[in-house]
Amino acid sequence: MNWEAVRLSLQVTLVATTVLFVFGLTIALVLVRFEFRGKIVVETLINLPLVLPPSVVGYYLLLALGRNSPLVEWFHLQILFTWPAAAIASAVVGLPLMVQASRAAIAGIDPVIENAARTLGSGELELLRRVTLPLARRGVLAGLILGGARALGEFGATLMIAGNIPGKTQTLPLAIYDAVQSRRYELANRMVLMMTVMAFLGLWLVRRLENSDRSRRISTMP
Amino acid sequence: MTPSHLQIRIEKRLSNFKLNVDLAIGAEILVLFGPSGAGKTQTLNAVAGLLTPDIGEIIFDGTTLFRREVQGEVVNLPARMRRIGYVFQQYALFPHMTALQNVAYPLKPPSDRNRALDLLSQMHLEDLADRYPHELSGGQQQRVAIARALAADSKVLLLDEPFSALDQPIRQRLHAELRSLQAQTGLVVLYVTHNLEDALTVGHRLAILNEGKLEQVAGIDEIFLRPANRKVMEILGLPNIIEARIIESSSDHALIDWNGLKMRIGHSLTGYEAPISGYIPPSEIELIAPSAISGGGDANYLSGHVISSRPSGGYHRVVIRLENGSEIEAVTRKADAANPGSSVRLRISEGGIIVSRK
Repeated sequence: MNWEAVRLSLQVTLVATTVLFVFGLTIALVLVRFEFRGKIVVETLINLPLVLPPSVVGYYLLLALGRNSPLVEWFHLQILFTWPAAAIASAVVGLPLMVQASRAAIAGIDPVIENAARTLGSGELELLRRVTLPLARRGVLAGLILGGARALGEFGATLMIAGNIPGKTQTLPLAIYDAVQSRRYELANRMVLMMTVMAFLGLWLVRRLENSDRSRRISTMP
Repeated sequence: MTPSHLQIRIEKRLSNFKLNVDLAIGAEILVLFGPSGAGKTQTLNAVAGLLTPDIGEIIFDGTTLFRREVQGEVVNLPARMRRIGYVFQQYALFPHMTALQNVAYPLKPPSDRNRALDLLSQMHLEDLADRYPHELSGGQQQRVAIARALAADSKVLLLDEPFSALDQPIRQRLHAELRSLQAQTGLVVLYVTHNLEDALTVGHRLAILNEGKLEQVAGIDEIFLRPANRKVMEILGLPNIIEARIIESSSDHALIDWNGLKMRIGHSLTGYEAPISGYIPPSEIELIAPSAISGGGDANYLSGHVISSRPSGGYHRVVIRLENGSEIEAVTRKADAANPGSSVRLRISEGGIIVSRK
């Protein structure tokens, strides 16, 4: 087993999932709470990575993180061809899944319940922590798992901006590609099996969350 | 008025009308009454800080909660800082918290278990503290919601159709509890309903709201004895609303013409705008035998025949067509007088016709 790749994959996925949680949740909240001009355009942009070839997403990220980009000039964000670049690529492709799931969960909360919390003295952050997140937790968690699973399987965009450097940026999907290229099928088999099991567990967990949510809703019927 | 005092003067353009409310509420239960869609909930939301008026002022006990005038500084205290207890129509309890946790929500620290338990037992709910909202009945949920609204030490309590989904007996009990709670604590209570019976049972005063406009604010007796205008009578669903011409008016009585029937009223109508409108409470109409002598006095005697009748718990509610073609509703205990088709005579005392102020 290529443990180096497993470690890198987990590291990249963990960071990507944290980024997903913060940004995905913020975007979902903004989309639920505010009406603004161009909202549909924003929503479409966020969903684009679902349908664009990963190489196109990677190309845009290459422009954003490349030499003449303001991100690099102003923030000295020189992360191209390092593992944080892989984490960013993974987060971007996982974002639509996270936003969609948590947005639906937050929008499903009765706004009157949130208003009740406001009249009881809660500011927006306290409201989020004590009411919105606990009530939307299943949806948010499902989005996080789906987005995280997508991040774990990221291949194309990662290859474009982080490269395929063993021990530095080579995650499991890239390592599998390498193993097949060099006809090391036994290694490839083991890594493929591992990826499949992890993806299966993720999707199974999401299904379970959805089911328990449904049964809970039925039990609360008057 | 008594120390606690809420002043509301707001205007807000809504999709189909303009909300224009000017109210002062003391330590009492003021019922905001009106048909659905009259702007009642919007008024509560504005007080709570969930809806921003276009212009106006909301002041409680000297603290400005909201102010926006054509000129001058704008004040708009966020909902979380207004300390106004709000009981929503559908309870709006936090479904992921027990009754106790719901009540403890606004407490600082939230772990102030004893205070929350006190509030729950005040509402006779101490045994249900650890139940979740979906394990409680509607009446119990509503009491938790009231306890929670009071937990933040609110001096103002807003209730939006609070008991509309509950059965009549529970409703009556909760109304009695609310009244005694208000009497004990001196709360300023603004209670919204479109149910007249609720309004009369719970309210000290009534404010009648129609399409965003306050038609009358007064004590309950005052409203029924001196309705401000025809709209008020219609909103209250009063029976036997009449419109009449003034024939003559002296210092102590007046004569009116109601669709060709001359009627005497026991007070002056000088200064009233003609035509006047008013109503005749069914309890003021006495059914007498057709043969009875139109024995003088100052009463009005009318005749007609019964066109329909239905039993109404111990008495009959009859609709009578009068000589002038108008229909009038009366109540009687005499079953034989209530047969459809039979001729009847009616006696209406000169004080039995209530004329609206305008």
